[in-house]
Amino acid sequence: MSGHADEQADDGGSGGRWFTSETVGEPSLFERYRIPLGMLLLVAVLRPAVASDFLLGYNAIASKMLIMMLFVAAFNLLFGYTGLLSFGHAMFLGFGLYIPAILVKNGFWLLPEGGNSTFFIGVALALVAVAVYSYLLGKLIVGMGEIYFALLTLAFAQAIYFLVLRDPEELTGGSNGITRGALPDFVEQTRGEIAIEAFGASVDWYWAVGLVFLLAMLALWQVVRSPFGRSLVAVRENEQLARAMGVDTTRYKIWSVTFSGVFSAIAGVLLMVHNSGAAIENLNVFTSGDTVLMAVLGGVNYFFGPIAGAFTWLFAEDFLTDLEVWEFPISALSVVSIDLSGVVAYWQFFLGALFVVVVLTAPEEGIWGYLRSIPVWIHARVTEGEK
Amino acid sequence: MSRPENQENTGSMETDRTAHRPEVEPVTDPASAALGVETLSRTFGEVVAVDGVSLGVPGGELRAIIGPNGAGKTTLFNCVMGTLPPTAGEVYLNGTAITDDPEERRPHLGMARSFQSNQLFNDQTVLENIRLVVQTTQQGAFSLDLFRTHYDVGRERAVELAEAVSLTDYLAVEAKNLPHGEQRRLGIAMALATDPEVLLLDEPTSGMSPGATTQTAALIEEIRDERGLTVVLIEHDMDVVLSISDRITVLDRGSVIATGPPDAVRENQAVQDAYLGGMREEL
Repeated sequence: MSGHADEQADDGGSGGRWFTSETVGEPSLFERYRIPLGMLLLVAVLRPAVASDFLLGYNAIASKMLIMMLFVAAFNLLFGYTGLLSFGHAMFLGFGLYIPAILVKNGFWLLPEGGNSTFFIGVALALVAVAVYSYLLGKLIVGMGEIYFALLTLAFAQAIYFLVLRDPEELTGGSNGITRGALPDFVEQTRGEIAIEAFGASVDWYWAVGLVFLLAMLALWQVVRSPFGRSLVAVRENEQLARAMGVDTTRYKIWSVTFSGVFSAIAGVLLMVHNSGAAIENLNVFTSGDTVLMAVLGGVNYFFGPIAGAFTWLFAEDFLTDLEVWEFPISALSVVSIDLSGVVAYWQFFLGALFVVVVLTAPEEGIWGYLRSIPVWIHARVTEGEK
Repeated sequence: MSRPENQENTGSMETDRTAHRPEVEPVTDPASAALGVETLSRTFGEVVAVDGVSLGVPGGELRAIIGPNGAGKTTLFNCVMGTLPPTAGEVYLNGTAITDDPEERRPHLGMARSFQSNQLFNDQTVLENIRLVVQTTQQGAFSLDLFRTHYDVGRERAVELAEAVSLTDYLAVEAKNLPHGEQRRLGIAMALATDPEVLLLDEPTSGMSPGATTQTAALIEEIRDERGLTVVLIEHDMDVVLSISDRITVLDRGSVIATGPPDAVRENQAVQDAYLGGMREEL
């Protein structure tokens, strides 16, 4: 658990162990901005890395990874930072998936079908709608206690799922989802690759996702390092104490649900464009469940935990499913390949096993917690050797 | 069943007064005291934990509340602080009834508590524990302060408070890794961070070595004197109680059986009976 406090403060709630009272708690510039730097680096290297032939070999997975990272990070604002476990987070994603898609497909009044303005108004509408919805939902259920919060989010998510499945007014497309006509004009599709037409230039979809991802994650990071975000942590750590010290824990929880819902819907909008439509699978209970698992796998105590969790999950899914013969990187020199097809077909089993190990050994640390502890461990070894 | 005893003792007080026997003082009017409690009761099912307690603690007084285990001291604190709603009765702060104010409002009204067991934000540093309370005190029970960062709010004040309870060396230590005595002092610093007028301390020296106990007692007196606080203290250590309190209120089975200056309470027959002789030597 060491290091927990400073990363959730995320930029040096504790800068070092020995300091004078003038500098105490004042993080260095690097500590202050290491999280944005890390995210910038992530966006810069993620696609070149995973799309290389050695790894997954195709582009689209990188964009999907960024989208899911944002979604799981939004989920973790509620779970990791506020201590509220939502088992129905797919519903918030659904606002971003369906509202712009419905509007762009059908047009409305002065808004033409497929119009760019229709899309952006759809996005604005989706974000306002999800904010109002999650605020009211929070108001209704945060006071019920942890178990009931989890069950009620599940129940509300299922209600929304079945509503969408019913295809009211033929808007949502029922079990087929919205498969065509959901993209605005500025999105260009050629042979499955998406590009964004902006100001006369064509921008690769990955970089567009990367930009939205960075902006949204920076906003999320500002939320968690703001005084507001610190109060959320206080609520999670010791609600009774927080209340006794004058913190209105109920209102903080409601607003945490609201922010988490809005950021999830942003991921939903990206996912809609990424998939060129709204698929109902993204609304179902498995999506909600996977979100919880990704967050726990990555480490709910850390800002980068959900990022690590979503990456590991999607990478394992893709890598282990598609891979039948893994060629060693030295295969160019000598043909070394191992047939793994029989084993890796069970990718979920391996992921499950990894999950069990993580939960049993360090439930709140996750993969990111382990990664963080490696440099510490090496440093300890080295200094030990010096003595 | 303690009510008749109470009255009986009050009666005997009257007759004994001339003989310098211990006395039970009349209750300071709760509605005009710094902290007042009027016929406050709290039941848990059949169990009457607090039974019609009336107290008035005048401003600036250091009042100890003592009594055998299960006398209802902590329940009384919980009712006063709003952690538990009382079954009946009123709580007054500077003459205003606050019984119906929610718990999280009370620190903003000027009353704060420390807990009997160490209630801290365990994974946070000492500095952050105090700073969180300073932030809450400055910004109110809820604030959507999203554009600043946490080290912009309340840090200097938090460092000052840590100094006041001699925790400067531990600022960057996570609360769960603090030694026990330091954890208790951190609890006091956090209560002080709410800028209280009335401070309620629940067994601030429990589990401390004799040396640390003496230091903490001195600290409590110092805090009271420097900040002009009204302090209400639940305490088992009789040396602490007798040395620092202005007056002592004795609870037994949910009722007040005696209130008075330390010497008077020490001599009180009802108090000695309540402690069944077990505490008599200590007293």
